[in-house]
Amino acid sequence: MSAIIALVVVGVIALIVFIYGVGVYNKLVTLANRFENAFSQIEVQLKRRYDLIPNLVETVKGYMSHERETLEAVIKARSQAVTGLEHAAANPGNAAAMQELAGAESMLSGALGRLFALAEAYPDLKANQNMAQLTEEITSTENKVSFARQAYNDSVTLFNTYRQQFPTIMFAGWVGYTEDAELLDFDDAQINEAPKVSFE
Amino acid sequence: MATDFFERQSQSRTNTRWLVILFTVAVVVLVGAVVVVTAIATGVVQEGDQSFAATGELAAPGAEQLMPAFAAGGFTLLLILMGSLFKIAQLNGGGTTVAESLGGRRLFGNSADPYEQRLLNVVEEMALASGVPVPPVFLLKEEQGINAFAAGYSPSDAVIGVTRGATEGLTRDELQGVIAHEFSHILNGDMRMNIRLIGVLHGILLLALIGRAALRIAAHSGRGRRSSKDNGGGIVLAIVVVGLVTLILGSLGSFFGNLIKAAVSRQREYLADASAVQFTRNPGGIGGALKRIGGASMGSRLQHANAAEMSHMYFGQGVWEGFTGMMATHPPLPKRILAIEPNWDGSYPAPLTVAAVSAAGAAGFAGGPSRFAVSQEVVEKAADQVGEPTELHRRYVEELVGQLPPPVRDAAREPYGSRAVIYGLLLDADPSVRQAQWAALDRHAAPDVAELTRKLSPQIDTVDARSRLPLIDMALPSLRAMTPTQYKAFAAAFQKLIEADNRIGLFEWMLHRVLVRHLEPEFGEVRRPGIAYYRLQRLTKECSGLLSALAHSSGDAEEAFARGAAELSGVEVYLIGKDRAGLADLNEALTTLTRVAAGRRRELIDACAACICADDHVNVREAELLRGISDMLDCPMPPLVAGQTVSAANIPAVGMGRPS
Repeated sequence: MSAIIALVVVGVIALIVFIYGVGVYNKLVTLANRFENAFSQIEVQLKRRYDLIPNLVETVKGYMSHERETLEAVIKARSQAVTGLEHAAANPGNAAAMQELAGAESMLSGALGRLFALAEAYPDLKANQNMAQLTEEITSTENKVSFARQAYNDSVTLFNTYRQQFPTIMFAGWVGYTEDAELLDFDDAQINEAPKVSFE
Repeated sequence: MATDFFERQSQSRTNTRWLVILFTVAVVVLVGAVVVVTAIATGVVQEGDQSFAATGELAAPGAEQLMPAFAAGGFTLLLILMGSLFKIAQLNGGGTTVAESLGGRRLFGNSADPYEQRLLNVVEEMALASGVPVPPVFLLKEEQGINAFAAGYSPSDAVIGVTRGATEGLTRDELQGVIAHEFSHILNGDMRMNIRLIGVLHGILLLALIGRAALRIAAHSGRGRRSSKDNGGGIVLAIVVVGLVTLILGSLGSFFGNLIKAAVSRQREYLADASAVQFTRNPGGIGGALKRIGGASMGSRLQHANAAEMSHMYFGQGVWEGFTGMMATHPPLPKRILAIEPNWDGSYPAPLTVAAVSAAGAAGFAGGPSRFAVSQEVVEKAADQVGEPTELHRRYVEELVGQLPPPVRDAAREPYGSRAVIYGLLLDADPSVRQAQWAALDRHAAPDVAELTRKLSPQIDTVDARSRLPLIDMALPSLRAMTPTQYKAFAAAFQKLIEADNRIGLFEWMLHRVLVRHLEPEFGEVRRPGIAYYRLQRLTKECSGLLSALAHSSGDAEEAFARGAAELSGVEVYLIGKDRAGLADLNEALTTLTRVAAGRRRELIDACAACICADDHVNVREAELLRGISDMLDCPMPPLVAGQTVSAANIPAVGMGRPS
C-alpha cells in the first residue's frame, strides 16, 4: 500500500518535472526562432547593400579610373562579405559565423569609407545624379541594417538571458542548447561616419 | 443558409461550446479506460472471480484493491488537464507561435526573391481588400507539398504560413485562391477556434507524445549503454514498458482528438472554399490550386514533426488521417474540386515548371483620378459589407497601392521605414499643431527616423484619405516585427506626437486607435477580454459618446445624431455637447463597446453609418472613418466603393450539402 503511494508520488513528481522540461524546451525553441527570424531582417538589408555596390563601383570607375587599389579593395571586401552573409544565414547565432560576418562587414565599411572620402575630391563625381542616388540609398540601407541588427541583438539577449537562468540552464544543456547565441557587432562608428572618414 | 459576418461570429461561439462537450466526453472515456485497465492489471477482477468461486457471491472489491486503479485514473486526468492548460498558455503567443513551431521563416517586404515578393503582394492585396491589417507571412522553406494556413486569435495577431511548394508551384491566380481561402478562415472566426483546438486537444495527445518520447529516450540510452552492466538494462526495459503503455493509451487519445477535429473542421472547409470563390470571383483560382495538389507528387503533405497537431488548420490535407476518410479533417480532394467546378473532368494538371514570375499585381496605375468612387448607398449599407470582400475590392486595392508614391510604399513595407510612415500619417493638417508635433518628434524619436519622416512627409501629405487606413494596414506587419525594446521607444514617440497639441482631429485619432489596437496583442501583456454585454441598453454613455463625436464632425450635429439614434432602437442615447465630447472618453467608450455581442455591433455600425449619411453627402474621409471605427469593433470592413451591392443573399450556395 505504501509502495503504491510512493509510486504515485514519484509519478506525479516525474510528471511535473517532465512537463516543466517540455515547457522550457519549447520556450528555448521559440526564443531561438525569434532571433533566427530577426536575422532574416538583417539578411534582407545586407543583400540590398551588397547589390548596390557593383553599381557604385561602375559609376565611380569612370571618374576615378586611376584609384584602382581602392576600387579593388571595395570589390574584394564585398565578395568576402557576401560569403560571410551566406555562412551566417545558414547558422544564425553561431559564434564563428557571426564573427566572420562582423569582420567582413567592418572591412567593407572601411573600404567604402575610403572610397567616399576619395570621392570628395572629384566635384564632377559628386554632381553626378547616379552617384547622389546611390550614396543616398547606401546610407539609408545602413540605417536599416542598424535597426535590424538592434532587433537581432535584442532577441539574442532575450534568448541568452533565459537560457542562463537557473534551473533552465540544466535543461538547456540536455536538449542541445549548450551555447549562448552570439551578438552581431559591426563597428558602428565606422558605419555612421563612412562618408566622412578621412584618408590617412 | 445565407449568413452574414455577424451571424457567423455568433455561430462560431456556439461551436466552441460544442467542442468543450466533446472534449469532456473524450476525457471521461479515456480516464475510465485507464481505471479499468489498471484494475484488471492489478488483479481486482481476478480476485473478484476467486472470491465468487469460494463463497458463491460477488464481493464488491475493497477500496484498498481499487486504489491503484483510481490512482492511475487520477494521474491520467491530471496529465490531460495539465497538458491542455500548458499548451493553451504557450499559444498565448498567438499565430507566430504556431508558425514558428512548424519551422516557418518570416518574410520581410521588398524581398529579392520574386516568388516571395509575389506571395507578399498577394497577401497584402487580400488583406487590404478585406479591411484587415496585413498579416506577417511565414514561409515553410522545407516543405515541398502545396499547403497554407492562417493562425491566430484575431486579425490583430493573425499570421499566414505558406509552404515553399505552394509559393513556387502555383500560378498567381491559384495562389490568390489559396490566400483567399485562408482569409475566409480569418474572417469567419474559424482561426480562433482552430488555435483553441490545438490547446485543448494537446492534453489528450500528450499521452501519445510522452509514449514516443519515452521510447526515444530508451533507444537513445540503449545505444549509449552497449558496454555497461545489466543494471542499465533494467531501467531501459522499464522505460520501454512505460513508453508502450502510454503510447497505446495515447493512440486512443489521438483517436478522440482526430474525431473532434474532424467533426469541427470539415464542414468549414467547404464554406471557406465557397467564400474564396466569392472573394476572387474566379473558381479557376482556388479550383486550380486544388487540382495542382492532386497532380503534385507531394500533394499537400507536410513533413514537419509538429505538423499533425495543427492538421485542422491547413488548406489541404496535411497529414495522413486514416483510410476511410471519416476521421479526416478535410473533405476528399475530388469532392472539393467538384463543389467549385461541377464540370470538372477529373484530370489533374502537370506540375508547374519554373517560369518567369512577375511580382506585379499593382501594375501601371500611376497617376490619374480613381475609377472608383464612394457612394452614399454603399455607405448606408456598410454593415452588410463587413467580412464580405470581393473581387471589386481587390481591384480597387490594386489601383490604390499602385498610386502610392513608391518611397512611401516601400518604406511602409519594412520595419525601419514603417515608423517614419506612421509618424508622417499622424501629422495634423493644421500648421500650428504640426509645429508642435515636429518638436515632439525631434525630442523623442531617433534622429535618423525623424529625418526620414521629414523627407517622406511631403509625399505622405499627398496621399489622400482613402489610402491612409490601408497604409496603416500595410505597415502593421513590419511594426509587429519590432522587438519589445524597439516598440517601447516607438510607442513613446508616437504617443507624444498625439499629445503634442490636444486638438488632434477625429480622423487622426481613428488612425492612432486602429494602430494601437492592432499592436497591443503583440506587445501588450493582456489578452483582450471576451463578450460581456448582450444588449446595448446599459451602455447609453458609450453609445452616446460615439454617436456624438460622429455627429459633431458632420454638418448638422442634431440631425445627424437623430438619424444615428434611430438605428439604436431601445437605447436612450443623448447628444453630448461639442466641448464636453472628449477623445479620452471616446477611447474608453470604444474599448467597452468591443465587448458587445456580434449582433449588437451590427446595430452600432448601422447607427454610425446613418449618422454619417445624414447630410446626404459622404466623402472619402467619412467613409474611412466609418471603416476605422468598424475595425476597432473587430468588424473588418472592405473599402466602401460604388458598384458593389452586397447582401447576405449573395453568398453562393456552393457545396453546402451534407458532405460524406
